Amino acid sequence: MTHPIDPTSQDAASNFLPDPEWLSATGRGVTVAMIDSGVDATHPDLSGRIAEEVGARIEGKKVTFSPVYDGDLAGHGTACAGIITQLAPEAKVASIRVLGASGSGDAQVFLAGLEYAVKQRYKIINLSLGTTKPQFFAPLHDLLDRAYQAGCIVIAAANNLPQPSFPSIFSSSLISVVKSEEPDPLKFRFHYGEVIELTAPGVSVRTPWVGGGYRTLTGNSFACPHITGLLARLVERHPELTPFQAKSALYAIARSNSTENG
Amino acid sequence: MAENRTDEFLERIQGLFRVADAEKLLADPVKEAITELLAASAVRLRAEAASVLVRTADSGDLKFLAATGEVADRIGGLEIPAGKGIAGFVLMSGQPLVVSEPDDESGFYAEVDKTTGFSTKLLLAVPLRFRDDVIGVLEYVNRSSEPLSEPFTPTEMDIAAVYAEAVAALVNAHIGADLMCELSRRIIRDSSEESDVRAWLRSMRENSTHARAIELAALVSELSEKGDAEVELCRTLLESLIGYSSSTTGRLDLA
Repeated sequence: MTHPIDPTSQDAASNFLPDPEWLSATGRGVTVAMIDSGVDATHPDLSGRIAEEVGARIEGKKVTFSPVYDGDLAGHGTACAGIITQLAPEAKVASIRVLGASGSGDAQVFLAGLEYAVKQRYKIINLSLGTTKPQFFAPLHDLLDRAYQAGCIVIAAANNLPQPSFPSIFSSSLISVVKSEEPDPLKFRFHYGEVIELTAPGVSVRTPWVGGGYRTLTGNSFACPHITGLLARLVERHPELTPFQAKSALYAIARSNSTENG
Repeated sequence: MAENRTDEFLERIQGLFRVADAEKLLADPVKEAITELLAASAVRLRAEAASVLVRTADSGDLKFLAATGEVADRIGGLEIPAGKGIAGFVLMSGQPLVVSEPDDESGFYAEVDKTTGFSTKLLLAVPLRFRDDVIGVLEYVNRSSEPLSEPFTPTEMDIAAVYAEAVAALVNAHIGADLMCELSRRIIRDSSEESDVRAWLRSMRENSTHARAIELAALVSELSEKGDAEVELCRTLLESLIGYSSSTTGRLDLA
């Protein structure tokens, strides 16, 4: 029996392949929002690439965002921004820092960060964070639906631990990515039969680190910005790309990658 | 009347805690179990050292609860402010991470390394999840044998995640034991400071989870005084209830 979306079957997916012009794009004119630990804008690889740096502040029960000047609190955001700009060297990154504002209510701050990015209408939003708290399932689902309707393409790092994490398990409104050992970012694959849709490089990835140096990192968090960087190229060529079209295009590319390499 | 019963209860519980060393009885064995598990898992993952950081209830800072390796003694009780460093990120993101650095750079875990004299070159960090919450972080640092610069692998990340489940259950047990130790300390410190203990008991009662647990414990204790048949009946009932609840995905709805 053949599954209707069996990647080995003959179907019309290759017809969805975007114009190969995107391959030579650099992300010019595209700003990617990154919800993370902040960014070290002074790193040589990121200098001139950061469009905005805001951080969460908690005022009573409200979370607000205002400009911050103390960089990256954990190193993670700098690494992700580095991957995005390696793949889209002319794209800009808007760093929305959701780490370090408070110890409690972390998921609340994360949700507010995503809401801020959607309100600012950032076309591409990179999420290497998630939450396992069930009380955030509904608000996140609602927010992701709003993002989708607003035309924001959200890319989330999958969680490959036994427990589901939100929002990466939401399958309709975002693109979720899991790490693979494949080093070539252009050879990302379709993850057949799983909630998580794509696999991208995420093992021993060399990235910029706080303070000007480099680190080698492994994790789904680093697979996600690979797809984000490639999307910045696609969006440069097709600025009106909707989340639905983005998914279709990524699927077609991933499928042709899978077929090419067996 | 109610006040007299509370006084009597306090006297009894004071008597109990005076003879029992709660720390030795409750918290220490759990901590030892965590350390044993850390040591065993570090061998399996070819790590030089392993440690457990636990989120503190109020601030969200991370505190080292247990560690193995040569700096284990120096690391105990050390704190990392909320949201800082790799551990802070893993706590918030719930994502396991592997970080390694080139040999020519200094250790990246600067604040902790400065205090301990340790140099972190390789790090594998996994979230500790209990029920729906991330309660801490499990870390493995550096390699114990050649090749010393080989980064932790994706397979080792998966293995660490399995250990993390067991460690998280133990950490949760330690949090419970710590609560009992705190009660014991307050009672033993000065038995005349009843208001202090009462305030603590009240705060426990106000926390609905604790209140329900204490209520249940009081009921079971009362039943157990009745006789063997009652104890047996109580145990059978509770076991069947737990069995039933575990076999169904939902919870009992008796409304």
